[in-house]
Amino acid sequence: MDKNKIEELVAKYNEGLADPAEIFTLEQLIEEGQVDLTQLRELKALDDRMVAVDHGSPSLSTDDQFYAMLASEKKKQVGFSFQWPSWNILAPRLALASLTLILGFAAGFWLKSPNQVSEVSALTQEVSDLKEMMMLSLLEKESASDRLRAVSLTGEMGNVSANVTDALFKTLNNDPSVNVRLAALEALVPFASQGSVREGLIRSIASQDSPIIQLNLAELMAALQEKKSVSELQKLVDSNQTPREIKEKIKKSIEVLI
Amino acid sequence: MGKVRDGDLDKLGLLFERYKRPLYGFFYGMNKDQELSDDLVQNTFFRILKYRHLFRGEGDFKTWMFHIARNVSHDHFRKTKIKVKEAVEKWEDRLGHNENQAMDMQLADEHQMLAIAMEKLSDEKREILLLSKYQEKKYKEIGEILGCTEGAVKVKVFRALQELKAVYQQLERRM
Repeated sequence: MDKNKIEELVAKYNEGLADPAEIFTLEQLIEEGQVDLTQLRELKALDDRMVAVDHGSPSLSTDDQFYAMLASEKKKQVGFSFQWPSWNILAPRLALASLTLILGFAAGFWLKSPNQVSEVSALTQEVSDLKEMMMLSLLEKESASDRLRAVSLTGEMGNVSANVTDALFKTLNNDPSVNVRLAALEALVPFASQGSVREGLIRSIASQDSPIIQLNLAELMAALQEKKSVSELQKLVDSNQTPREIKEKIKKSIEVLI
Repeated sequence: MGKVRDGDLDKLGLLFERYKRPLYGFFYGMNKDQELSDDLVQNTFFRILKYRHLFRGEGDFKTWMFHIARNVSHDHFRKTKIKVKEAVEKWEDRLGHNENQAMDMQLADEHQMLAIAMEKLSDEKREILLLSKYQEKKYKEIGEILGCTEGAVKVKVFRALQELKAVYQQLERRM
């Protein structure tokens, strides 16, 4: 419908002369946005009057109830403040966190130099050296418990130097405390595969006066199948100093070895 | 409202102060009961608080609020069943029954007469006119509330105003 006809129709409606068919057309034009409701004079006047009507405002008790409800909700929120943040807030934060993580990994991968590998092994060696030093100095202490700690430190070392095994033998052969000597013997067991350690253990048999150490050594020799130790063990059997029960047990070990 | 949703509940106080009057006006326009309108305003804000996490922040708050307000109003009348559905075409019959009431209003001013005319309309027509008033003629937003197009809202407003005019003129003649 052209503009003039629309204006004519609106004018006719405003005069109150529009018939039902024309009102129906008018509705269609309103729906399509070709006629604005403000163009319909009487309806606009009525609408304006309706808008001007004041329906008042809620009572003060509504205000009180609302603020009491809000306060109670805030109290609940303080009691349990966790709530999932909305996706709008969470998404960029998650993206940033993931990106930082990926960049961190990438930077770590690309910036890793071959020197770092050798640096790590150098550090490991330093730590091992420090432990060794600590162990040697603890072995010099008067307190038996300090010396026990020193002996147990060897358990934390992977490869030990000759200094350590020498110190352990020195302890096994000379320490005044039987417990420390026994601990030293146990500490030496893992290194018994080394020839020098096995020989040291055989030599140590003769210098032991404690029956418990003698017995442990004899059992260790049997377990290691160390035939070279038979003569040393036999000396213990022949000795008058060795208690009879120990002699019997050593004899059994000798039998195993022979 | 976005801040309320994210935990800043103090901001709901500001929204309440800003919108309590139009909301009350909408309810009062629908039911003409001050106490009930107070309760419905309270219930609407209770639901806003309870379902604040559902506010997506895409449309404006007022549209969302009136959407909830409609539901609150409908739920209330569904529960209490005090509202008698009135056939749109039978408003003239009701005029006859309330003749005395209309006569009593002889000295009433235009606003009062308009209020009476509004009461004669069906719930649907009264609601569309009140939404048009309190949503400040934002027909697109009203369409979102009612679930129809902007054009359909305009036609509904047109029909409601036409009927309001007819009732109003009839009341004028009777006075």
